[in-house]
Amino acid sequence: MNLWDLLKMGLRNLSRRKARTALTVVGVIIGTVSIVSMVSIGIGINETFEKTYMENGAMTIIRIEQYSANFDENGNWAGESKQVLDDNLVNALRGIEHVKAIAPIIDQSGQLKSGKYTTYAQIRAIGRDAFGEFGFPELTYGTYPSENDYKKIVFANGTLQNFYYSSGRKYETKVVDPTDEKVTFVFPEWNYQKNPRKKDFKLEMNPGKGNFAVMAESDNWEYNSTCYMDMAFFKEIWKEYASTLTVADRKRAMQVLESYSSIYVNVDNIDNVTDVQDAIKELGYGTYSDMQYLEPLQQTSNMIQIVLGAIGALAMLVSAINIANTMVMSIYERTREIGIMKVLGCKVYDVRRLFLYEAALIGLMGGIIGIIISYLVSFGINKYGQPIFAAIMQTSAVYDVEGAKFSVIPFWLPFAAALFGMFVGVVSGYIPARRATKISAIEAMKSNQ
Amino acid sequence: MNEEQKARKKMIEVKNLKKIYRMGDEKIRAVDDVSFDVMDGEFCCLIGTSGSGKSTILNLLAGIEKATSGEIILRGKNIVGMSEAKLAGFRQSSLGFVFQSYNLIGTMTALENVELPLIFKREKKKIRRKKSIEMLKKVGLDNRMDHKPSEMSGGQQQRVGIARAFVAKPKIIFADEPTGNLDTKTTVEVMTLIKQMAKENHQTIVMVTHDPTLTEYADKVIRISDGKIVETKIN
Ligand SMILES: Nc1ncnc2c1ncn2[C@@H]1O[C@H](COP(=O)(O)OP(=O)(O)O)[C@@H](O)[C@H]1O
Ligand SMILES: [Mg+2]
Repeated sequence: MNLWDLLKMGLRNLSRRKARTALTVVGVIIGTVSIVSMVSIGIGINETFEKTYMENGAMTIIRIEQYSANFDENGNWAGESKQVLDDNLVNALRGIEHVKAIAPIIDQSGQLKSGKYTTYAQIRAIGRDAFGEFGFPELTYGTYPSENDYKKIVFANGTLQNFYYSSGRKYETKVVDPTDEKVTFVFPEWNYQKNPRKKDFKLEMNPGKGNFAVMAESDNWEYNSTCYMDMAFFKEIWKEYASTLTVADRKRAMQVLESYSSIYVNVDNIDNVTDVQDAIKELGYGTYSDMQYLEPLQQTSNMIQIVLGAIGALAMLVSAINIANTMVMSIYERTREIGIMKVLGCKVYDVRRLFLYEAALIGLMGGIIGIIISYLVSFGINKYGQPIFAAIMQTSAVYDVEGAKFSVIPFWLPFAAALFGMFVGVVSGYIPARRATKISAIEAMKSNQ
Repeated sequence: MNEEQKARKKMIEVKNLKKIYRMGDEKIRAVDDVSFDVMDGEFCCLIGTSGSGKSTILNLLAGIEKATSGEIILRGKNIVGMSEAKLAGFRQSSLGFVFQSYNLIGTMTALENVELPLIFKREKKKIRRKKSIEMLKKVGLDNRMDHKPSEMSGGQQQRVGIARAFVAKPKIIFADEPTGNLDTKTTVEVMTLIKQMAKENHQTIVMVTHDPTLTEYADKVIRISDGKIVETKIN
């Protein structure tokens, strides 16, 4: 028998007992929908994780801040404590396994001026090696600080977009291109008292001197709004700046150089982030990392998937038993028919295929309808699932993102599901089909003659 | 080879065929040391009372039932001990069946029933359609092709059965009480049809019956009683 004849005969036999076939198919549908939903939620959550974390922050980075949040054993916030981030700590961190790079950081406020326009510039001073380690964006102009060329400011794209001018009722904004327009960097006047007898500190940006660079627009807001500087260069200009201050404030300003605002630690592999965090904790320092938020999220998402997977597996098992049962009944009803077919020259091989195809058809139908329903379910989850997921995940950090997806059905999933449905059908139809081939033609024809 | 010689070629040879059923301790000798030949193109009739073992012999000849001992040689091939797969292939190429209770498949139309043996033989759809329609025309059912068995009379159903048995043009046709469920008038129609079709293609027929009036259609009549041949008559 050829494929078409087998399929036609299978369909004919299935349509003979519509109610029974429908019930059996429903079982497969439930199984398929559960499994497809499980996989789609897994993929959806992973994609959202990747969007919000992998792109906006490097997963392997651990941050040690000057102020560390404390939590009691129930995970409730219990105030902040100040920790001293100095070179002793940096040396201690060097000794921890899996640490790839350490970047002590000093944050300061700066200001950029261009004609009558000005803008606030968040300055971050960092070791020059860090520019190659922490996933910095491409530059649209200039080069990152290096051993022989470190006296420069790396501008964030966002900073340059936000120059403004205000006087009285007028407020204007402007995008400034430092390669084209004169830009001057200063430290703001409100933090420290200036010594009126000294000349003001200022740093003129000059394309000829190559003392600045510009970062391309980045998905990572930090690189979009923070200007970077080599630590050594920062120390030089800060000392220069401090010398223009009053005696009292000069001392105060110099303290800035004694401890870091934060230290970034880059770990060699995502899997080791938690271990390194624990090691730093043992040194007595509190840390932050994106992994820290990600881990419970992933655990919750794994749990959802396990529950759905269990439901799906159970539903599939039940529907496999269902299919087997349906096939046994069907074979019982058609014993005589099978006998006749054998006498007419139907090969054992074809008898088996006849029933296997029938079982596979049940699985395939269930699979296909299940996929269609899964698309609806997936649509529903994405449209209405946000509050549910935010609640389950116990955080809104990830899922506040506009257009966050909780369920994604990739192009291969429907095919895999249809194949899987068919596979379940074939497996559960196998033993009944073998039984059909064992039917003796003579007994079959004698029955209810 | 002239007609005479051709007719003398043996199509079926049965040698010392035995079939013993065991019912607990009891042995039923349904077929008890039977030997006979059927020539190419011959119409052979096995006649006997109910329970004499005729059907058992026929089923043994068709390989549906396994012989206890003896030889059955069809077209020069011994089918005793042949594998199930080989037997199926042999049935496809060489054997046709007509049953007392027609044994049509209830969910299929007349045309589809007739097509079945050709489907098993993997014949092309167009060709098998054509052959089946032709066959149904021959048995006078061209206006009933799309009817289900339940929508046809016994005589019509048996004619579908005959069309199905002959459609693949097998060399040997077995018929077990083909008219057993039919009235006298229809019986004559069906017998005439079988005889005529077999003659057209020079096919060999072995028919089982308990009805002595049907022996007149046969070339050779073998009388069976208690599983043994008691008389062989050439018409
Ligand atoms: N499967 C079986 N088991 C036991 N005895 C059987 C079986 N089939 C047939 N018989 C016995 O064999 C004998 C011959 O049966 P059968 O060939 O059907 O007779 P007929 O067709 O001539 O009426 C009968 O006595 C019947 O009871
Ligand atoms: Mg009988």
